[in-house]
Amino acid sequence: MTSPCNSAAPVQQKRALVVESGRDIDELLTSVLDGDGWSLRRADDNQHALALATTEPFDLIVTGRKMLGPDDVEILRRIRSARAHVRLIILTDRFTPGDVIAAVREGAFSYFSAPFDAAELAEMVRAAMAAPCWDDGIEVLSATPAWVRVAARCDLSTADRLVQFLRGVRDPDIPEGIISAFREVLLNAIEYGGHFDPSQHVEISFIRARRAVACRVKDPGQGFSLEELRHAAVNNPADDLLRHVAVREAEGLRPGGFGLLLAKKLVDELIYSEQGNEVLLVKYIDPATSQVA
Amino acid sequence: MGLQVSIRESDDVSILDLRGRATIDAGESELLERRLQKLVANGARKLLLNLTDLTRVDSSGISVIVGTCVSLRRQGGDLRVLCPSGPVLEVFRVLHLLEAIPSFEDEAQALASFRSRDDAASSS
Repeated sequence: MTSPCNSAAPVQQKRALVVESGRDIDELLTSVLDGDGWSLRRADDNQHALALATTEPFDLIVTGRKMLGPDDVEILRRIRSARAHVRLIILTDRFTPGDVIAAVREGAFSYFSAPFDAAELAEMVRAAMAAPCWDDGIEVLSATPAWVRVAARCDLSTADRLVQFLRGVRDPDIPEGIISAFREVLLNAIEYGGHFDPSQHVEISFIRARRAVACRVKDPGQGFSLEELRHAAVNNPADDLLRHVAVREAEGLRPGGFGLLLAKKLVDELIYSEQGNEVLLVKYIDPATSQVA
Repeated sequence: MGLQVSIRESDDVSILDLRGRATIDAGESELLERRLQKLVANGARKLLLNLTDLTRVDSSGISVIVGTCVSLRRQGGDLRVLCPSGPVLEVFRVLHLLEAIPSFEDEAQALASFRSRDDAASSS
């Protein structure tokens, strides 16, 4: 299990090294980094970045998109052996799911595979410096191409990073709907099970079968009874879609209560354990459209 | 910040143009909640949320929109949405919110719907 986050303050001195990735990405990163007051250095390619990173301290490194996935991971490994806590965001055009897993194992901050979502990339770059600490946040406990098990620290930034790694896999059988469902149950686990306590962790398993994708999230909390959640939209009657809003107001709760219902609607099955601190999401894959033989 | 909110007025309707994402990530949903609460506290009762450039919404963003809608209706007002699309429309659709919150594809029609509601109220 990963150790608790000890560092209290976000990074103040911000030095970024960006590898050339083409005009659109370069302009986007320049506008984000300039706007946020970074000192920006450019590298022609990833080898150049490696040479610079071993001689100069950088807080953030963004790789170039034109390398093969395994080469990105090797660069990541070598840079982090020289600069243990540097935040490294991988951009890549060519990769496999195994490359994404290897990047998580080696401590990448984030992973973006083409086609890139400019807004998400910009937000991840901002998040890279906002997090007070990060590199003990996600630990790969075990991984095969079909079954990945990780532990994730109970904070929002770690949840965002984990979701982006899942998006980075670009598996056509894992559409945005199931990623959104996973994000909702993960945030519930972190908030209600882990109370945003960075010394606590949730355990997550992703299972990729031939005819289904499954995701299990186990939180460190005491659990709950789904049927007793009157302040959640998932228990609203069909003829009163907004009933839980009044219940939440009466109980003095902040606006909310749609997470479980949204997750349930976006997958084929949502199953809680008896104790209520483990949830399983299942999305069946249509054999006619699946990319897996 | 991943959400930009700009506000304009058309008669007694406040139109909020949302750009970016309404999610919990970097406090975007909290920002939206603060802007909506301030408008309502200042007397706004008819809100039109232009979702044309909203790229993503999660349960936190939906909760803010629905909570504001319920609150406004209790005070004799209403909230409507304009042009949800892509992942945002998908969230509204799977939650059946389009049955509870009127949605329009055309801004003029959305504004007219507030007026027709007033006409119906005054003639009853």
